[in-house]
Amino acid sequence: MTKRLILYLSADEHYLYRAERTALELEGKFSADEAGLNAFREYLRSAQGALFAVLADLAGEDFHEEQIPYLRGADREALLARRLAQRYRDTRLAAALSLGQVLTPERRNERVLLASFTNTQQLSQWLDALEEAGARLAGVYSTALVAPALAAALGARDARVLLVSANRAGLRQCYIEKGRLRFARLERIGELAPEALAGFVRSETQRLVQYLITLRALAREAGPMQVLVIAPPGRRAAFEQALHADGRLTFRTIDYADAQRALKLRRLPEGAAAEALFVHLAAQKPPRQQFANRDERRRYLLWQLQRAIVGAGAAAFCLCALVGGSRSLDVINVRTATAEQRELARSAAQQYQRITSSFPVTDTSTENLKAAVVEFRRIAERSSNPEPAFIHISRVLQKYPQVELDALRWSVGKPGEVRLPTARTQPQGAAEPIDTMVLVEISGRVNATQRNDYRGITAQVQSFASALVGAGYELVRTQLPFDVTSEGVLSGDIGGSAESGEAPRFTVVLGRRLR
Amino acid sequence: MRLTRGELKQLAGPVVVGLVLTLGGAALVWSTGEALRSGQRHFAAAQAERRQNTERLARIAEEEREVKEKIDLYQRLKQLHILGEERRLEWADAMARIRKERELLDLRYTVERQRLLTSVAAKPGNIDFYASTMKVDLALLHEEDLLRFLADLRESGNAYYAVRKCGLMRTGQAVSGAGMTPRLRADCEIDLITLVDPAKK
Repeated sequence: MTKRLILYLSADEHYLYRAERTALELEGKFSADEAGLNAFREYLRSAQGALFAVLADLAGEDFHEEQIPYLRGADREALLARRLAQRYRDTRLAAALSLGQVLTPERRNERVLLASFTNTQQLSQWLDALEEAGARLAGVYSTALVAPALAAALGARDARVLLVSANRAGLRQCYIEKGRLRFARLERIGELAPEALAGFVRSETQRLVQYLITLRALAREAGPMQVLVIAPPGRRAAFEQALHADGRLTFRTIDYADAQRALKLRRLPEGAAAEALFVHLAAQKPPRQQFANRDERRRYLLWQLQRAIVGAGAAAFCLCALVGGSRSLDVINVRTATAEQRELARSAAQQYQRITSSFPVTDTSTENLKAAVVEFRRIAERSSNPEPAFIHISRVLQKYPQVELDALRWSVGKPGEVRLPTARTQPQGAAEPIDTMVLVEISGRVNATQRNDYRGITAQVQSFASALVGAGYELVRTQLPFDVTSEGVLSGDIGGSAESGEAPRFTVVLGRRLR
Repeated sequence: MRLTRGELKQLAGPVVVGLVLTLGGAALVWSTGEALRSGQRHFAAAQAERRQNTERLARIAEEEREVKEKIDLYQRLKQLHILGEERRLEWADAMARIRKERELLDLRYTVERQRLLTSVAAKPGNIDFYASTMKVDLALLHEEDLLRFLADLRESGNAYYAVRKCGLMRTGQAVSGAGMTPRLRADCEIDLITLVDPAKK
């Protein structure tokens, strides 16, 4: 953890506090002279790596309100730098605090409060010491710059608040308008008796209000202004008695211990006065606007950049870890579900094995058994044997003694494969496409009939062919010894002497569907 | 703010740390993503296996009936050596034996190269059906000789005999008194089908 050190500068003595989350520890005390500065330089040698902030609680702060055209970015920076240079001879410790926008009939302006120290020398030496030691300077603040945050922390809600506290440096009065510092002054308390402090607060407050009215920083007819007074320990009752409201001021007194509680400051060094509240806030909630320029804060900004880079990496890692964690949970869920599915699958397989073990003993797998038998049956269904066809034809032939067979051709196959006598590939009347069929081509002769007796031969062949139809057989084709169709040529030799002794030949083709 | 070389050096360490953290996080996201994808693949496989096993279990009654119905035929195929590698020597023996027993006048045959008829997907391996076409030329006294020859061939086993073609025709030779003259000739094409089951023990 990086050590945070706040150097509180007052006119007489400077205090170095170590800021913790809810506590302040006094690291060192240095006189505001050359000896103190040397001691501080000596201390810095042992404080390498610490973060420093400077909180000045000095008299001689200058506040000047101006209006500038409403600008942003580099233009605004340049304009403010010019205004600061015009007002202050030494702009090393000068700052411009925004007081908000102002709408004029012509244009939009911004109110700014130019602030600096009338004597920057008392600060510069100490800042130079920090620079020489290579310390990381987070910022240079004044108690006035921290005052708005303190007022807010103490519950000041009014638009105009005067915060009054008794610091080591003196009586600090800060005028805050709408949450923004408008004016501040430090009045030395000196050897004032504690009993007289309340009266001193009252008189100084009235003086300041009168001054603000004179400056027109406060309107005369603005009504009563709340004065928030942080009473030293054990002095609240005396303060409340001395500080009573009038037409211009209403007082609200807060005990120092209550203020500490409001800021969650639980432990602080002995002898610390109200400045500890400012120091604590400068460490925990430093104001955005401060006096150090960018070069003086360069090491601190570099340190911030280093931290930001590592922080960005850590944030990316955390984000990835979140995504990874979420996915890991998903992985666990998926693995659990997978294990359940596997268990169910294993259980079903075991059950299957148990049941199939009671099946008839086979020397192959069930799948192969089924596949082999099913395919074999399919092949067998598409196969046939000539015997039934021959028997069928023999029976028919017994009824036709005049028919004599020359040849029988039996074949089986798909319609495209078997050799059909004509282009027709399936028998007439076949409603469905035929997968496999048996074809029987019967070639024969008709005896005991004159060759020229076309009608007689035709009748006998057709009768024979018709007799063959049945028992699953269909007539595919009949080829007579002559062509009696209109497309063919019919010739005859009636009464001729050259009568051939050969009986007329015919062909009948039968088909039977297998599947 | 323009950084000097020295300041850039001071940033090198944090940059490395930041990069390591970022890369470590990215690696974490990637590895968990891979683990998730792998888990999802395994889940899908396990789910499919479970579904398949459950469905198979649901069909077991039907399967039992199928097995009981088919086992006899399977065993018969095995007994007849239809199931298994080709047994060409047995085929040749069978042809010789049939010719002798049936006193066939002439019997010529050729068996062509084996070819894959069909392959049926099964588990653990495919069932392959092979066919070898045998061309037979017979001299017959009577047409019944052909039918008896085919019946004997079927009975001889060692293959499933699927007759593809058979032609029967008169020889036209005159019957002589000296010896037996074939009156008919037959020519057939027969597929000798065998099947190979890789799971058969």
